[in-house]
Amino acid sequence: MIQITDEILNKYLDSELNREEAEQVKSALRNSEELQRKFNALKLVQDKLSILKEDEVSAGFTEKLMKKIVIRKSAVPKQQKYFIASVATFIIVLSLVIFGFSISVMISATPSSLGDTKSVFDSIPNLSDGLVKILKHLFSGAGLSIIGSIFSIVVLISGHFFFEMQKRSKANLSN
Amino acid sequence: MRNLSDQEIIDSVRKGNDSDYSIIVNRYKNKAFAMLKRMLKNDFDAEEVLQDCFLKAYNSLKAFKGEAKFSTWFYRIVYNTALTRLSSPKRKTEAEMTSIEDHFDLESEYGSDEIERKDVNQLIQDTIHKLPERYAAIITMFYLSEMSIEEISEVTGMSISNVKVMLHRSRNSLRDLILNSRLAKELI
Repeated sequence: MIQITDEILNKYLDSELNREEAEQVKSALRNSEELQRKFNALKLVQDKLSILKEDEVSAGFTEKLMKKIVIRKSAVPKQQKYFIASVATFIIVLSLVIFGFSISVMISATPSSLGDTKSVFDSIPNLSDGLVKILKHLFSGAGLSIIGSIFSIVVLISGHFFFEMQKRSKANLSN
Repeated sequence: MRNLSDQEIIDSVRKGNDSDYSIIVNRYKNKAFAMLKRMLKNDFDAEEVLQDCFLKAYNSLKAFKGEAKFSTWFYRIVYNTALTRLSSPKRKTEAEMTSIEDHFDLESEYGSDEIERKDVNQLIQDTIHKLPERYAAIITMFYLSEMSIEEISEVTGMSISNVKVMLHRSRNSLRDLILNSRLAKELI
């Protein structure tokens, strides 16, 4: 004979007992008014819980949420745009500086004298020779290490931006 | 019109039809809100956390592999977000620090006069709000969201037997509350 505990009554209510155990509970319920009272109260709780009502969120909840989703979705490409624009600007500025520096070095290397009547176009062959020389100088020895350093800085800065962007999107996700 | 399954809606959202996500929101918002309200004991916090949960679920839809039901996956987000909110420093001081070993006495929450005045439906509705957060969550998932014990165990990360113990304990408390009120004579 099993002892009719609260646990057994709950299991009986959930039809979790085997046939033999269920029969024993049934018989115990028939013989004990106190047990019957307990079981009826438990059944009443079960019935009332089964008809629990949903709570309603405030009106416009879905609309507000969908708006937020649209705003957040458009915010991510914006960040990417800023990132690409900032890296592109940096590279363009750097190229212009290198180009300007090369031109100034070439011009200062070209022999000139007062009263020289040669046009600017006459110096183009000299300029192209000078440009080749400077490029050779830039991509060999010390010049190459300077370019390497500049390139590393660009990579580091881009990496920083990229890392920050990832961190922000991760934070958005966890929030 | 045919009622679309959760998986069909998710597939559509993944294809770029974001507006279809509102179908999921409308399907789960009230049930999840009921659970949060009973866990956090505050309407405002419950709605704020619910919004966070839907945003989290939307952002993680790609990670949803469909191994579990969407409802189980979503309720896990809801349950864990609520627990995180409850463990925030401000909440920690207010929260009932209960576990499976803890005891709670719903009768002491009410004065005997208060019990006498209420009808049984109202009494049970109100009492669920007084249950410790984990118990309230289990009762809501089991009865309102009609989830199985196995699904609740998956959501909460508790063993099946612990979920059953907590469910039974909640029912026994509500039963004792009714037995000790005038309602017992009328209804039982």
